Amino acid sequence: MRTRALVEQLRAQLGAADPLPPPPPAALITPPPKRVFPSPKRRSVMAQRAADHTTALVGIGRVGTRYATDVVLQFQAELAVAHGAVEAVLPEGWAASMGLLGVQSKVQDQHQHLLRPDLGRRLSPEGRALLEARAIKGADIQPILADGLSAIATQGAGMALLNAFMDQCRALGMSVGTPVGARFARVWLEDEIGEITGAKVSAILLGERPGLGTGDGLSAYLVYGPKVGRTDGDRNMMSNIHQRGTPPEQAGARLALLAKAMIDQGVSGVDLDLSQIAELRELAAQSYRAPQRRQRLVEVH
Amino acid sequence: MLAPLPPIILATRRIPNADPAVLLAYGADPARHTALGLLTCDQDDPTYVALDEATKHAAVEVVFARSFYAGAAHGSGPFSGEILGVIAAADPEEIEEGLKAARRCLEWDACFYGANDAGTVAVFPHVIPSIGAYLAAQSGLRVGDAMAYLVAPPLEGTIALDVALKAADVRAVKIFPPPTETNFTAAWLTGTQTACEAAAVAYLAAVVDVARDPLGGAFR
Repeated sequence: MRTRALVEQLRAQLGAADPLPPPPPAALITPPPKRVFPSPKRRSVMAQRAADHTTALVGIGRVGTRYATDVVLQFQAELAVAHGAVEAVLPEGWAASMGLLGVQSKVQDQHQHLLRPDLGRRLSPEGRALLEARAIKGADIQPILADGLSAIATQGAGMALLNAFMDQCRALGMSVGTPVGARFARVWLEDEIGEITGAKVSAILLGERPGLGTGDGLSAYLVYGPKVGRTDGDRNMMSNIHQRGTPPEQAGARLALLAKAMIDQGVSGVDLDLSQIAELRELAAQSYRAPQRRQRLVEVH
Repeated sequence: MLAPLPPIILATRRIPNADPAVLLAYGADPARHTALGLLTCDQDDPTYVALDEATKHAAVEVVFARSFYAGAAHGSGPFSGEILGVIAAADPEEIEEGLKAARRCLEWDACFYGANDAGTVAVFPHVIPSIGAYLAAQSGLRVGDAMAYLVAPPLEGTIALDVALKAADVRAVKIFPPPTETNFTAAWLTGTQTACEAAAVAYLAAVVDVARDPLGGAFR
């Protein structure tokens, strides 16, 4: 546009008098939409209906080739929730205040916890001594509540899940060992704890790696015949234990059934035959989950 | 005099998912590009500017842009014009946005002007305040530098280039002496935007001057 103005000026200077053709019509650039989020009128019905059934990022619309502003803001807000959960630290003495036997892995601080999973899988010497001295030995189930990658989740629904799990185990006639609260723990720490207490099944309930907008999810990993050196193929697990996923009470019941099956069959992991457990099937049939709606952390008007 | 000679887009098409052989032949990279946008126009230099403009508005690359011999008046067909420009992108939507930007530039910004009353002496004294990725790569300048993109017929263009270089604090980045594909002569100058503008105006004034008195004093 600058060049046109310059040519116009020179033309005036040179005293040109012949008339110019009219400038081209039409607007230059279409103005941006007032509301950045696509209007409901323009949204695809299929995407809308799909979005009613999942918290996944579907039916979020677009502006040109980019995301709408509120989708970007929502994404950043959800990422912040996940960052907050990763950075949260389980307070020292939290386990004891909840009536658990508190132990710690070989990890010294949160930074090391994130960078050195290998240290998070082994007990500190003090923790080992404490377990040897005070934990009940030879029980059917060794319950462990740990921070994992989200101390927020552990402090949130952790105790509810642990209590539901222990109650259900007792109801199914299994003996339950001393509940342990582990700090800076990774999943495999259950092997060493279970080995020391001599439990048949070691069960660790811990905060799972936070996702977008879910910093409060818990996971549970169960292993039969725990000993250091067990692999993930020897474990059975359940994830997404939170109010928008499987509620802790329901999860506790399912985990207890899983533990019972392990003891009955004497195996865990890929060798465990889940098809024989009628109650688990029944429970799965009952656990209809209502369509989930994405929780909006940001509103743009 | 100095009336704009509006460029006319003769044909424009998109290929959302181009065959790898086509991508390769036109300088695109099948690993990074899937979609192509093609455009022909009856003025080549405004189109080079418009293709560069597209790289500023969308994630597109100008993979192919060539002028046709002897210009639009000798095109191979009514939709051939003077140039074929091809932009490539990973996403067809980007092509759409890129073509929109190029079209906007051709309709509203870049065009030749008639340096005489009849409009038969065409001159392109175009100032780009901030060049995009395409012209940056072609000229060796940085993205964002100012450029005076100057085109005129051979003798007029040569006289005017000398005037322009002396009129402002600019330097010649690249000079295209005649004959080029379209038999014009062109030059790319750079400097501050103000210097480029002063150079472009001096260039234009010199072309007008030659067009008024082509034989000059010597033969009178």
